[in-house]
Parts: sequence; C-alpha cells; structure tokens
Amino acid sequence: MPECDNPLWPCAMTGAASCLAGFDGITVVIHGSSGCYYYPTTLLHAPLEGTFILEKEIIFGSEDRLREVIGNLSGSGKSIAVITTCVPAILGEDIRSLLEDQDVLLVDSPGFSGDIETGYRKALAMLAPSVDPATPGVNIDGVCLFDPFYSGNVLETKRLCAMASVPVGTIFSKDLLERVHHAAAYTLGTNEDFASGVGQSLGGMLGFDQIRSSFTRIDGVIEGSDCGPVFAELDAQEERVVQACDKFLHRYDPPSAAIFAGCSYARFAAETLERYLDAEICCIGTRNVVGESTRPMIEATSLSEVQDLIKSHKPDLVVGSSFERSVYGNAAFVGIIPPLRGKVRLYPTPLAGINGTLSFVEQVLNACIDRMP
Amino acid sequence: MPSNPLPANLSRLGGCTLTGALSVTSHIHDTVTIIHGPKGCSHHNASLLHAICLDDDRMVMPSLISTALGESEIIFGGEEALRTAIRHAAGQNIRALFVLSTCIVDTIGDDTCAVCAEEYGIPVIPIPTAGFLGGSFQDGMNNALIALAGIAEPCPANGGINLIGEMNLEYEVRENSAEISRLLSLLGLSVNLHFVHDTTFSQLSLLGAARLNILRSPSLIPVGEYLRNRFGTPFIPSFPHGLSDTLAFLEQVADSCGIDGSTAVSSEKSRQDEMFVMGSGLNRLPVVLDRSHTGDEDLRAAGELAARLGITVDSDGNGLCLPVGSAIGTAGTRRMLHRWRRMIHA
Repeated sequence: MPECDNPLWPCAMTGAASCLAGFDGITVVIHGSSGCYYYPTTLLHAPLEGTFILEKEIIFGSEDRLREVIGNLSGSGKSIAVITTCVPAILGEDIRSLLEDQDVLLVDSPGFSGDIETGYRKALAMLAPSVDPATPGVNIDGVCLFDPFYSGNVLETKRLCAMASVPVGTIFSKDLLERVHHAAAYTLGTNEDFASGVGQSLGGMLGFDQIRSSFTRIDGVIEGSDCGPVFAELDAQEERVVQACDKFLHRYDPPSAAIFAGCSYARFAAETLERYLDAEICCIGTRNVVGESTRPMIEATSLSEVQDLIKSHKPDLVVGSSFERSVYGNAAFVGIIPPLRGKVRLYPTPLAGINGTLSFVEQVLNACIDRMP
Repeated sequence: MPSNPLPANLSRLGGCTLTGALSVTSHIHDTVTIIHGPKGCSHHNASLLHAICLDDDRMVMPSLISTALGESEIIFGGEEALRTAIRHAAGQNIRALFVLSTCIVDTIGDDTCAVCAEEYGIPVIPIPTAGFLGGSFQDGMNNALIALAGIAEPCPANGGINLIGEMNLEYEVRENSAEISRLLSLLGLSVNLHFVHDTTFSQLSLLGAARLNILRSPSLIPVGEYLRNRFGTPFIPSFPHGLSDTLAFLEQVADSCGIDGSTAVSSEKSRQDEMFVMGSGLNRLPVVLDRSHTGDEDLRAAGELAARLGITVDSDGNGLCLPVGSAIGTAGTRRMLHRWRRMIHA
C-alpha cells in the first residue's frame, strides 16, 4: 500500500539540515514555513535560521523574503546554506539565479524527495568534500546530528585513534567547514547509513570484529601508527563481554530479539546479539532501504508494520526507538535509534568503538535480567 | 533553541495549521486522521504526539495515516493517493475519518473536499489546514473544532458545562482541566463535554446540550461564536489566570448560569489565603519575571502573586529570575509559587 501510518523516519529536508548544521562556519536557513522549521530545530539541537514564509509569498513569490533573510545574516563571516522545503521547491522560482551573486549554497531537498539519508547525502555532496594529500590520519565518517549516539561515537573513535597514534582528519559531519576540503585520504565509518564516500574506507567501528579489521588496515597504511594498544584493549574488553554473557546464559535462555534501526545499526545489533548471547534474531525491520545483509531484513517505516512484526514474533527483546518501546508489550527494550524519548540522556554514550559494544551489551543484559521473573 | 532574531513579523512564527488541527483530532478515540501530503509532515507530527504520549501515560498514540506523496504525485496530482488511503482506513473498525491537507497539496491544487465527499461508508470529514497556507497553529485548531461542531446536531439541554479547546499539547493540560472541574463543582456544576480532550466520536453529539461554553483562551472566540450561533450557548472567553481572576471567573460562571456564587467565591478565597503561608519569607530579594514563552495573562497572574507576597519585581531586570507558568486557577498559581520557592531556595 502506498500510504503509511505513523511514519517513523524524518524527511529529506531534515536530513539536509542534520548534515549542514554539523559544520561550524555555515549558517543553515530553512526556506519554508515555521512548521517546517520547528521540527529540525528541536530534533537536532542546532542553531538554524528560517525564512518563515507566509501565504502571500507563495502567491507573489518568496524571492524578496529569501533575499531579506540572507541580507540580515550576511556579514557574520559564515557561509550560508539555504535548504528548500516542499512548497518553495515546486514554485518554479529561480532561486539559484537569485543566489548567484552571493556566497550561498542552495540545497534542493524538499521533504517529498526522500528520507533523511537522501537529504543528508545531497547536502554533503553540495559541499563538495575533497581529500587533501597533506592531511594525515583518518577521517571519522557517518556522524549525523540526528543520531543520538553521534557525539559518543566521535569521542570513542578519537580515543581509539589516539591510542593507535593516528591523527584524526575531518569528521563528517561535525567539524569546521573549512576541513571539508582538507579530508584525510582514509576514512573510518561509525554509521554506514550516513557514509560520506570521502577517502578510502578502512572499515567500520561497529562491533569488535569491525574494529579489529579496521585497525589492522590502519596498521598497514598509516605511517607511524601503532595499533597494538587497541588490539590489547579489544582482547581484554571482548573477554569481559564473553564472561558477562556466559554468566547470563548460565541462568537464562538466550533472548529472541526483534531489531528495528537503520541498516548499519541493525546489522551491528544482530551480529552482537548472535555472537555473544546466541540470541535468535526473529526479525529485523529497517527504517531505510534494506542494504547488504546475510540476515533477512525488511523495510518497516510505519508504526503498524513495527507493531505487526512484534506481535507476530513475540520477541523477548526489542531493540529500536521509543516508538518501538510504545508497542513492545512485555519484552525487554534497548534504544539505539531516535527518537529515544521518555528517558534522560546526558552522557555521550557511543554505539561505535569498543565502548559502544560494551555499552550496548550492558544495556541488553540489564534489560533482559530486569525482565526476568 | 537559538535566539533567532528573525523574523520581525511575529505572524511568521504561528506554527503549522496541520499540527493545530491534529492536536484536536488526535484526541478523538475510534477515529483515524489522514494527513494528505509527504510522509515527512506526518512524521514530524507523529514524533511530537509520541513525545506527548510519553509525558501522559494515559494517552494512547493516535493513528495517523500519511498519503505519502512522492515526486510523482506532486507532479501528476495526489487525489488518487488520498482516495486509496481513505478506502484503506475506512475498512478499519472506526467511527469516522478526518482528512487534513498540507501546504504542498493545496499548492498543487488537489481537491481534497471533493474526494472526501465521495461515499466510503463512514463519515469522512475534511478539515481545512494546508500547513502555513491555511494560517497558524491556532487557525488549525479553530478550523478543526468548527468542523467537528458542524457535525453535531442540536440536542436537549442537560445543565452541564463544555470546556472548549483545551490545549492538548500543553504539559499540564490534565491538571488545568481538573482545576476548572473543581471550580465548577464549587458552584454545583459539572463538565458536559471536553471539546476536545480524550473524547469518543459519539460523545461529540452532546456538544449542544451544555448551558455554557468555557473557552481555554480568547484565541478561540471564533469557535465560541460559532457554537453560540449554532446552539445558542453563551461562552466565557478564557480559563482564569491567577488569583483574583479565579474569583471573578466563579462570579461570571454563576451569573451566566443564574445561580448564587457567593459561597463558592468565599470558599475559594479562603483556599487562596491559606496558600500565602507558603509564600512567607520569600520577599527578601528583588526578582524579575521570566517573560520568555509566557502569555500576557500568566504574566499578570505572576505579577499579582508577587505583589500579594510582597516580592519586589525589579523593573530594570536585576534580580533572581522567577519562572512564569500556566497559572490556571488557584491550583496553577500554587504550582507557580512552588517553583518560585524552589528557585529562591536553590
């Protein structure tokens, strides 16, 4: 069916804003109504500007209003990026010409053009990121303000890079704007759903296996790196995970888990639960288009699809967002994708890196133990 | 949220008509709301309502259906997508369907009302929203209430009171509702219908039975006037804010209903006087009242409370900044006083 009840994933306009607002040195303007402005502003906790257009500007043209807003913002020394929302995108106004004589980036990313990943990629492409051979080290990739784990992922990846004496290049997308054009030649991913495609990928940071492979590659290509400390910590922390999960399995059966997330986080959750808890992955519903996976995944972007999957599989454990938590019945719950409402989150918890896996397994074990009679 | 200096024209900040209408229709059980537009518009609102649900564990996540328009429908028209969505939703076990349009749909010229007028076996009620093209959040709320009032028929009076336009997205909506019910009970009156808060579709038929409508705020006066014209029901334009306004409210309701309110007013005044024991000793420091996100009525109520407590409000903006909350009735004013005590003692 084409229609969708209670859609669970944001639109392309929000995706574009979540990319651009991560760069210091750029002022993001949402060209649309106050209704379109409020959502990304509250979701991303980032400074955004808006044109707040009214009906008269739809009838007589929004160019003057856009020019007025840009005029007020210019002179701050920052670049300006304008993101079009649905209505301005179809008005037929030649906004590109209007902005031609100004240092303004136009990102045509209306909500109807796709979901958050589409808008994120489009916005990043407009920034034309490039590798600077003089920049040493690795870039950190897949960082999106929309992701509640982005901050923890950056800190954890930086920590591991520091342990391996590897400099960090550009963080896509949470960095100074000027660094977009001075990226390092190699990249580590924290969330493939928001991959930049900049630099040669050395692998991901989700799960001990990925981290081990990625740092093995780093050892081979980054001059001066010493990944020994990272491998030592990997071995030690993996042993702790094995022991904690083994203790759980002494007493309890493995959980059957229903996982709902973007493809990248869903794969990580499934692999981790299978490997360390011998869990049965009863279903994986992805918010975005299903990517490569050895496990069956289906796209589940509405609340009723999620509800049906949970009802039919009756999992012991649900991994997802607070949308899933609202329909999870008696299962244990662990949140890995937004929204994660109804819970105070202050510490920058990672999902990537060694601490990301430790944190995830810790939450799963506690949630499962709390659920036991 | 950043302090955004733009725009100078405050009407630009009125929010989305769609969200305003949804704040009403999402509170009618056994119905479904269709949002005719791209999925993103529905997600924004589903996410907001989800957050409200988590704050209010008695509220059930409403069913919103998006027609999920993509580029193809934007180019060739979305009426068929709407028809399909209505047919699908009408097959569920529900009493009625509400159809809310978005700004993009009105821009491309879909005839939403014509599609809704076709036969689907249950009432399909279009509500003019159209995002910002339809006006502001408040316009959306008013349009939804008027559309719902239009389907209720006149019925015999039952002596009850209607509460009109409670702010369902407000954090303390239930507490404010309970306070008005308590004040009415002092006069021997009870609530006939919450129009609309946590209501079933069939309860809407009681709308015309009330002897008096009490509006949540003066911005709902167009709804009050519509109801007065349709059912002959008089209205009071706002819930009371602060102490003296609460006493005046009791007198006003009593006058409107032709009953003696003196005992109720006296009892409420005693209750308010007891409250000032809590406020003793708070008058040592100069304070300022936090004016951000605050309406004039609540500011007046806060100013009155400060004056009654002997607290000096510094006109130059120097002093401890006290929060100004939704001071509905005596209970709302007391909650604000508790927050002041916490600020002063913290």
